[in-house]
This record gives sequence, structure tokens and C-alpha cells, in this order.
Amino acid sequence: MTPALDLIGLAKSYGALRAVIDVGFAVPEGSITALIGPNGAGKTTLFNLITNLDAPSAGEARFFGQPLAGMKPVAIAALGLIRTFQTARVFPGMTARENVLTGAHLDVRQGAAQQMLWLGGARREERRLTAKADSLLALARLDSFADMPVTELPMGGQKLIEVLRALMARPRMLLLDEPAAGLNDQETAELAALLRAVRDAGITIMVIEHNMSLVMGIADDVIVLDAGSVIAQGPPAAIRNDRRVIEAYVGAEPDRA
Amino acid sequence: MLNAAQIVIGGLLQGGVFALVALGFSLVFRVARIVNLSQGAFCIVGAMAMYFLQTVYGLPTIVAALCAVAGGSIFGLAVGATTFVPALARLPTSSMLMLTAGLLTFIEGLVLVIWGNESYALPPFSGEAPVVLLGLRVSSQGFWIAGMTAFIVLALWGLIFRTGFGVALRASAQNPFAARLMGIDVGRVTLVSFSLAAGIAALAGILIAPITSLQFDSGRFLTVFGFVAATIGGLGSLLGAVAGGLLLGVTEQLAAGYVSSLFANALALLLLLATLLWRPSGLFPAEPLRRTDVAAVQRIHRAVVRLKGRGAALFIAALVIVLAVLPMIVPPGLVASLAIAMILFIAVLGLDVRMGYAGQVSLGQAGFMAIGGYTAAILATTYGVAPLLGVIAGIALSLIAALVLAGATLRLRGDYLALATLAFGLLIDSLTVGLVDTTGGPSGLVGIPALSIGPIVFGTPRAFYWLALGLAVVLAFALYGGMRSGFGRALQALRTDATAAAALGINVTRMKLAAFAISASLASLAGSLYAFEFHFLSPEMVDTRHSFELITMLVLGGEGTLVGGLFGTFLLTLLPTVFQPFALYKTLVEGGLLVVVFLYLPEGFLGRVATWFAPRTPRTMVESYDSST
Repeated sequence: MTPALDLIGLAKSYGALRAVIDVGFAVPEGSITALIGPNGAGKTTLFNLITNLDAPSAGEARFFGQPLAGMKPVAIAALGLIRTFQTARVFPGMTARENVLTGAHLDVRQGAAQQMLWLGGARREERRLTAKADSLLALARLDSFADMPVTELPMGGQKLIEVLRALMARPRMLLLDEPAAGLNDQETAELAALLRAVRDAGITIMVIEHNMSLVMGIADDVIVLDAGSVIAQGPPAAIRNDRRVIEAYVGAEPDRA
Repeated sequence: MLNAAQIVIGGLLQGGVFALVALGFSLVFRVARIVNLSQGAFCIVGAMAMYFLQTVYGLPTIVAALCAVAGGSIFGLAVGATTFVPALARLPTSSMLMLTAGLLTFIEGLVLVIWGNESYALPPFSGEAPVVLLGLRVSSQGFWIAGMTAFIVLALWGLIFRTGFGVALRASAQNPFAARLMGIDVGRVTLVSFSLAAGIAALAGILIAPITSLQFDSGRFLTVFGFVAATIGGLGSLLGAVAGGLLLGVTEQLAAGYVSSLFANALALLLLLATLLWRPSGLFPAEPLRRTDVAAVQRIHRAVVRLKGRGAALFIAALVIVLAVLPMIVPPGLVASLAIAMILFIAVLGLDVRMGYAGQVSLGQAGFMAIGGYTAAILATTYGVAPLLGVIAGIALSLIAALVLAGATLRLRGDYLALATLAFGLLIDSLTVGLVDTTGGPSGLVGIPALSIGPIVFGTPRAFYWLALGLAVVLAFALYGGMRSGFGRALQALRTDATAAAALGINVTRMKLAAFAISASLASLAGSLYAFEFHFLSPEMVDTRHSFELITMLVLGGEGTLVGGLFGTFLLTLLPTVFQPFALYKTLVEGGLLVVVFLYLPEGFLGRVATWFAPRTPRTMVESYDSST
């Protein structure tokens, strides 16, 4: 079966700095894959390479078999590969609900002209999308914030809004960059439940995350990145005990000790 | 040949002054990353002060010049301390740009009130007799200009690269946040730079006054040419400012000498567009002012609160009823002004989509009014085309112009884009004045027939008002339909974060184009209506001053509110009619209002009203978040 995402020898250098070195792995459809690693390991850069926000120096990414090389970020999004950002990039000036609705852009079939003519189809579509956004907001227990300016939400709430916004795009695969940063324990548990439900609905997820209990709780597969290279890959239980992973995180060098 | 050399020398003189203005631009841009459009206004303040000190109070030239430059700096200090610097901490870059446009208008208005609208010329500093060099006549003033420009460049170079203040200035420019952590008072550094730039501008003003006569609104011209010079040379670069100024001066004089002075402006603006297109960082790019490996983050965002639901529907219904009966209850003399206000509201509606929703500053909206107005008027008067067809032709032409302009400017960042639209507006200005055979030139087009659609003639102001109101209501409802749906959300998304918008599949280019097309069409429609309402159209009815006025109207009412613009258009159109002495103060008040609104009421009148009805933070949720962190 074609993997949802297939990375083949992806690399990126900034001058002499090799941020990502020959990264290759496959993400099976319908799984949750966690991408972990110390700060500066190249996790976000890898997301940028996949979505072509940054052009790779070498290698390519394939989404359900389709090469993404040379495609604009907007075209990649249109394929159903939707990402979030490390710092919550909500759209200020809009309410929480409007932010979530913005994610439905690819799902909007009635054009600007139909909207401006107040045609029935456009109104029905708007009601359908609003209902969907409201049910997502309720799922994340953010419904009481729906009409507030999104910037007045706490940071954790804004991170969740970004995830909901990505879900509105009817993605085939989500790339989530540290969605649990700024969330408290209860919210993190709700996020975990949400992500499992998303996976069970058939949407593939790759998630960068530092919260290990979240990673170990939801991931089917864990990939460990250190200094731009994949140093381990496997199910959470195996990764937990991998010596190289512990070294990368703790920084110990047992050979010389 | 001798003639050409003489023209080049004239160009170099002119260019030296442009260079001085450009240096002021670069200095402020260096520290605040804001293009300060009020730069040219300080030139006029300097020149006017000099004129009065020298000719009225009889001070010696040097003393008067020193006093005028010092006065310019002090005035700059006051303006900077009360407006520019405090606003820097609260306003997004696009609003800052418009704030400086407001300052430009305000200072012009101040000069108008104090010194009137006469043209003033100063005597040359060292007498009228030109110096003859190798058979060429060089005005003695030229040596003053060359000497002072060289002196200012050296002094600025020394200040920036050889003093502690320069270190603070460069640090503030590169990373204001870190500079603040290191104990640098970034606000003070900015203020001093602003004041210095004002002093340099005042100097430029007194140097150019003997070779070009100046009046209250000549500052606009100096702002544009100074900015064009700074951009051609490379914004922020001292050498670039001089090179850009001289190049622009020579090009302009050659065009004026061999073609026509009217097209000299057009040529300068084409030069700007060409530079922005092919070499946006200029001939001598300044050293990187900010780290380029960090994504550009907009400094400040402003939340827009909008009226919603049943309350909003009731408010709109009441508003439409009041507007419909208004011409029957006001004195008959006011009805024509009401019609004009309503026409301008249509243009402001378009501006709101582009600026209020999509966040694209447009300083050239009146240019599209001119295209629409002149197309419809010329077709109706010269070719006897039916008014309605003329209106449609105007919109078509405006859309073509918008498409060309967008093609040239889509890649430009915020402030460059805004200035490209300003250049476009001024280009249209010079065309409406210059194409005398087609547009009637400065004296305008007369005998434009009344607007008629089939057998219905909108001959009276009242009929015209109702027509404009009907159009405005239909357009406002249509735009509201779009803005509350996916289209409006996409525009607001790309406004603040184009990258995140693209990651959601929003085609940023197409959305910007759509917003631009809407704003250009509505401005064009308003321009055509204008011509049919007045039965007359002259360049000054649709010149760049009106682009600024439309912005003031929009901001007064509230950006991103659609109906807010009504408040601004009615206030600014009716005030001078109701209160006649206001006419003299109109420029001053318009500029002042724009500045004050940006400083104290950035959400505008309607935006503020909306916040009274906005939902509050649910208290329990806040507490549950607080207890968890």
C-alpha cells in the first residue's frame, strides 16, 4: 500500500549548517507518527521541507505517491496535506469561530460571487460549515470562546484553535507542530482524545511533540531526529528504552565516561 | 549640446535637493522601518519660516537660515514626540504609513492657515548673478545646494558610524527589542532621528525655495520625489539617497526640457515603478537593516469587533430608512452635498474591502475615480455614448489598470506596495492635467450630461442622491454577504499571516487581486457618478488629495466595518458645507483627524460603538485557565 507520506533522502543546508541530512522514512496511512528530538534537531525544518515553505537541497517528499517537489505550499494544502505551526499562528482580528471557519477554505464550493449575491447555496454552505466549526469547538471545549477575538484566548486555546482550523480543511494528513505546547494536563488529555478520534476517522497524523507522555500515549510509531538525522524509529515502547535516544536527550556519552 | 549640459546642471541642482529629502527618509527608515510621508511638509515649513524671518523681519540670510532649520527641527521634535513615536508602539506598519500621510496633510493645512495659499520664492543666498563655468551658467544657489548636501551626507555618516548615538541608532534599527534590553531608549533614538530628518528637510526647503517657488501643498511633491530618490538609491543608504536624488533630478529636467514638464512627473513615477520591480533594494542597497533569516513578523495586530445578529439588522434597517428620508428633511441646499457624500461612500466601500479586510494600503484610490470619471465623461461629451455604457467602460478600463498595476506590484511588501499605489495615483494626476486635448487639462471638462438610464433621467440632486443611496445599499449588502463568508475570512487571514493562509489552501495572490478589483471598480463607479452629478470634471476633483481624504473617511468610521465609512464621508463632506469658514481649515482638520483617530480611536467611530456590544470573556473559563498555569 502507498504510504501517506514518503520521504526520500530529504536534506537541507543553510550555508555550512546541515539542518537536515538524508532523512528518509514512510508514514503509513491512518497512523499517528510522532517526530521527537532535542531542540535544533531539524523537526520544524523537516515540516517546512515537506510543505515546500523551504525548498529542500536534495531529496523529495511524496504524498500518497505524488511528488511534492516544486509545488507551492498552497497547492500542497489543496492535496489535503495540512500543517500547523510551532507558534500558534491564529489570525488576529477574527473571532475564534471565524478562525476555525477559515480552515474550511478548501471546502468552500460557493464562490465569492455566490456569497455576495446571497444565494441560497452559499447560505446553506455557510450554515453547514458553521455547524461543523461549532461542533469542533465543542469537542475541544472551546465553545464558550467562539465569539471572542481569538487573540484573547489563552495560548493553549489558540494552539487548539489552530488544530481545529486544520481539521476544518478536510485533510488527508495533518502535520502538527507541537500542538500541546502551552496546554495544561487536562487540555492535553483532551487533545490526545481528539487526535485519536481524528486518526480513527482515517486521517493520517504526523506530530512534533515534546510532551513524552502524550507521545507515548497516542503514537503508533515514533521517529527520533537528532542533529538533522533520524537516529531511531519504532513503536513507543521500543523508543523509550533506546540507548541512543536517551543519549541524545540526556547528553550523556557512556563510552567516554 | 550646450543646452543639454545646461539642462543637466539644472537637474543636478534639483537632484541635490531631492537627495536631501531622501536623506531624511533614509534616516527615519533606518531606525523605525517606517516611510515617513510627512518629510516633504517640513521642507515647506522651513522655507516659509525662512521667508518670513528674512523678508518680513529683515534678518540676515545666514541667521534666518539657521533659525529656520532649528525651527524645523524643533517642530519635528514636537510632532514626533506627540504623534510618530507614541504611535510606533501601538500601530501596525500600514497604519503608521497612513498616520504620516495624515501628518503631511495636517502640516500642509497648518501652513495654509498661517501663511495662506500664495506661492513664495526666496532670493538666492548669494545674489542673482550666475557663475559662469566653462561657458555654462550655474546659479550661485547651486553651490549652496551642492555644499550643503555634501556636508549633510558627511555629518550623517559620522553620526551613524562614528558616534555612540550612531551605535544606538543602528542597534535600534537592527533589533529594537534587544536594543531595549541593552538599555537603549529606542523611543528617544527614534525621536532624535525624526527631529534631525525634519531639520534636514527644512534645510532642503530653504535651499530649493530660491529656484522653485513653493506653496502650502508643494510638500507633497517633495515627499514623492524624495521618496522616489531614496528608493532608487536604496532606502536607508546615504550614498544611495544622493545617487538617487541626482539621477532623478537629471532625468526629470531632461524630460521637462525635451518633452514636457507635465510628463516629467510621470517619468519619475515610472522610474520608481521600474526600480520597485527590477531592483527593489535600490542601486546601493543599505546593509541589511534587520536579520533576514527570521520571518518578518507584523509588529502589532488589531482586533476588529463587528456588530452582529438581530441588533445589527435593526441598526442597518433604521439607518437605511433615515438615509432614505434625509433629502426631504434637510435644507434643499444640502441635498447636493448629501449626494456627493453618498457617491464617496461607494468609493470608501471599495477601499474598505482592500484596506480594511485585505490589509493592502492603497494611496491611489482617487486614481481609479479619475479613470472612471474621465472615461464616462469623455465618452458622453465627445462621442455621445449613453452614460450607463460610459460607466461600464470606465470600470473595464479601471480593471485593466488595476490588473497591470497588480502585476507590477503583487510581489511588493506592504510599504513599497502602498507607495507604488501613491505613484500610480500621482501618475494619473499628471495625465489628467497633461493630456489637455482629451481631458481638457487643468480647466477640466464641461457640459457632461445628466445621468440617464433608458428614459429615466437623474437630473436633480435629490434623484441623484436616491440613485447613489440605492447603489450603495445594494453594494454594501453584496459586500457584507462576501465579507461574512469564506471570501471575507480569506482576505482577513492573508492580511495578518499570508504563510498560514497559504497553508490552509488560500490562494493569496488571487484573493488580493479580487480585493483590488473590487476596490478599483467601486472607485471607478464613484468617479463616473461624480462626473454626472457635477456635470463637470477637473483634475483636482479626483486628485491624490482625495485618495488621502478617502482613507481619512474610512479610518474615521472604522476599517473593516463596511458601513463605518458613511460616518466619515458624511462628516467630511457636510462640515465644510454647513460651516463655511471651515473651508480654510479643511486640510488642517482632515490631516489632524486622521492622526488623532489613529492615536486615540484606531478602531474608528463605528468600531468603537461595536465594542460596547461585544461579548465579554466568560469569567469561569478564564479562572480555570489561570488556576492551571
